Amino acid sequence: MNIRISAKEQVQDLSCFGDGRLFAEPKSTSSLAQPDFNRFLQYSKKFFDRQHYTNNGLLVRMLEERLAEFHGARFCVAFCSGFWGLTLAMTSLALKGKGEIILPSLTYRRMADIAAWARLKPRFCEVDPNTLAQTRQTVSECINAETALIIGVHPIVNCCDIEGIVSLGTEHGIPVLFDAVESVYESIGTGKVGSFGDAECFSMHASKLLNGFEGGYLTTNNAELAHQLALMRGYGFEGQDNCVIAGGLNAKLNEIHAAMALANLDELEQLVAENRQRYRQYQTGLRGMKGIRLLEFDEASKTSYKNIVVELLDDWPLKRDATVAILNAENILARAYYSPPLHQKKMSYPFVPSNLQVTDYLAKRFILLPCGDFVTCDDIDGITQLLKFIQAHGAEIARRLVETEVK
Amino acid sequence: MKNPGFAVLGGTAAFEKMLPVGQLYFPSWERYEAAMRGIFERRYYTNQGPLVQQLEERLQDYLGVKHAICVTNATIGLMMAAEAMELSGKVVLPSFTFIASAQSLSWTGIEPVFCDVDPATHQIDIGKIDELLDDQVSGIMGVNLWGGACDPVALEKYAHARGLKLYFDSAHAFGCEVDNQKIARFGSIEVFSFHATKVLSATEGGCLCTNDDVLAARLRNIRSSYGAGKPVPVVKTSNGRMSEAQAAIALLSLEDFPQNQQKNESLFRIYEDRLKHIPGIRLVKPAGVTFSNYQYIVCEVDENSFGLSRESLLAVLKAENVNVRRYFYPGVHRSIGYKSSQAEHLDRLPVTDHICETCIQFPVGALVDGDAINTICELIDRCQRNAEVLRSHFVGHSK
Repeated sequence: MNIRISAKEQVQDLSCFGDGRLFAEPKSTSSLAQPDFNRFLQYSKKFFDRQHYTNNGLLVRMLEERLAEFHGARFCVAFCSGFWGLTLAMTSLALKGKGEIILPSLTYRRMADIAAWARLKPRFCEVDPNTLAQTRQTVSECINAETALIIGVHPIVNCCDIEGIVSLGTEHGIPVLFDAVESVYESIGTGKVGSFGDAECFSMHASKLLNGFEGGYLTTNNAELAHQLALMRGYGFEGQDNCVIAGGLNAKLNEIHAAMALANLDELEQLVAENRQRYRQYQTGLRGMKGIRLLEFDEASKTSYKNIVVELLDDWPLKRDATVAILNAENILARAYYSPPLHQKKMSYPFVPSNLQVTDYLAKRFILLPCGDFVTCDDIDGITQLLKFIQAHGAEIARRLVETEVK
Repeated sequence: MKNPGFAVLGGTAAFEKMLPVGQLYFPSWERYEAAMRGIFERRYYTNQGPLVQQLEERLQDYLGVKHAICVTNATIGLMMAAEAMELSGKVVLPSFTFIASAQSLSWTGIEPVFCDVDPATHQIDIGKIDELLDDQVSGIMGVNLWGGACDPVALEKYAHARGLKLYFDSAHAFGCEVDNQKIARFGSIEVFSFHATKVLSATEGGCLCTNDDVLAARLRNIRSSYGAGKPVPVVKTSNGRMSEAQAAIALLSLEDFPQNQQKNESLFRIYEDRLKHIPGIRLVKPAGVTFSNYQYIVCEVDENSFGLSRESLLAVLKAENVNVRRYFYPGVHRSIGYKSSQAEHLDRLPVTDHICETCIQFPVGALVDGDAINTICELIDRCQRNAEVLRSHFVGHSK
């Protein structure tokens, strides 16, 4: 146990003012789920014995089958990363002859770069201030004659307006691709995430719910799309010497990464149960605290309880970035939630300039707090007590921060 | 001889299991387990972890280059290189290469301009670049093929004299030496492949080598590097990261490189020794290098003197469970995505077209030994001696 919370009795005890860190080891917002080592080895043995290390190996096929079943989708295609899975899906789904892609600005920092790799021009849309997610309305405002594709992104907690966005796409004849990277385990009344729209993309980066070292996958009910993407991730080859489709590259998932993902998939229920405990601990610790609001999971449907996001309200005594800096100094690797938003970043490729006031407002208010396999309930107590301490001594901390800066 | 005992004529296959052509070296189970256990103990899985850092340092030392930047695969590495070098318009490269060389350009919005190759070495024919140049050509991608080299020194002089950028697809070239120094230092960037079929394996993987600090910083930012170096402006980033698992395999593979190279070379010598007596089979020797990884065994089949076409030889050997390949076939300029844009130039690469029709690749690497190579050479020899019987079999079949 490395918590020194009892030491934070006075403002000068904060690490940002020179005292020791609350945690000896960093507490991150990454899941870093670790499966049973022997289970990982058992899967590894399968590729090892076959001397088949990549190129659509047995474990990749097993993983794809398991994930399709898990999401209630007909097909799954695995990739070396979510990034290239999304890029390939965008190029495949975008309507030919049209150049714009609709995506939220309050999202993954590389999302506009992905669109640029797919040679599509991002048009950023607003989100709903309550859900932090796109709605049918916010997407609808961006549709025009140039729209080639709609990206629906599930925010870090709960889902976007899946049915609204899908029906909008259908009405306009525009394909819908979901970025479901943070919603592997979620479902809504009409089904599981992974079974909606034209396709849904996921990541198996170590920081995500399903850790495969690096990796990504796509689910779809469209047989043609699945076949096409499976070819494109392998240069477009169908059998030896037979390149049948242009626009391919190498986005293959290797067998070791697939072994890791399979082993973690076996233990997913347990991970979610542990996430739930962590979430409950945050709920308890933050209950009644002034100036801070925990984003609550919609527990009416299945949810992963993975990401812990808080909003700093108007009566929180410190600015969001100052709060993050204080937490970081204690080895709590809290992060600003999607800040700056994409439309505020410098882009050297074509994009549609936009004025997104709701997004600008939201981008200053939220923080991701530590979660995942490394974080214990005791750690969470330490984090919430520290937040309470910051809240209680906010004015003094703010004063001292100014003094420190002046010095 | 009525029944020369070929599987294609109904005999038993020479090998029980299909022999692949690729390298497929991999550490022992014990070493694999120990490496993975280390990762599990550190709980560090990706994002420029300790093993990737260690691998990059070792590669820098081994290759004698200032920056080695590891990536998830060489194709994405080539795409990153074109981005970092800010290439535009058109880039000249040989058509006799793996299609990924050209695809990496297409992904970065660059039009590939295909150049013919030298009939003896299969490497790019520098004398044929001039006729392809116009004011849109911004660079040249040299490709080091078959464990040989494409005369990078001459290419550097050529590109420099014309103000063209130059980089290399060195996917085949890990460990090879030009003038007794490792390939890695030529052009602005060299891109190596660590695919399982290559002499250095990370299952999937690769690395980019450069002596240019500015390019290295850009490449790290485009790859996404989590703290490795100062961020510098780039047009767009990507995910080109190598995981700790990939790095672990590459580190072990680097340890094993001397013995794997030796094995390749000894198998190459058997092929060399046995095939030189067979009319119509020419083994392509690694060109332009003082040291080779010998990771490819490539031959040309001359139908007239061998007595059988390349296609017939392929069919005979595949039936014997030797998974011989027509690598590369067809030429990239005749492949989907490129053939229509090259329509008016389709016939301007006669050497490439000829090699694509006559080349055959034989097994070498982890899954074959000297006995297997002797058996394969024996089979090729018997094919030549029984060419007439086999020919009439294939003629009968095609009817």
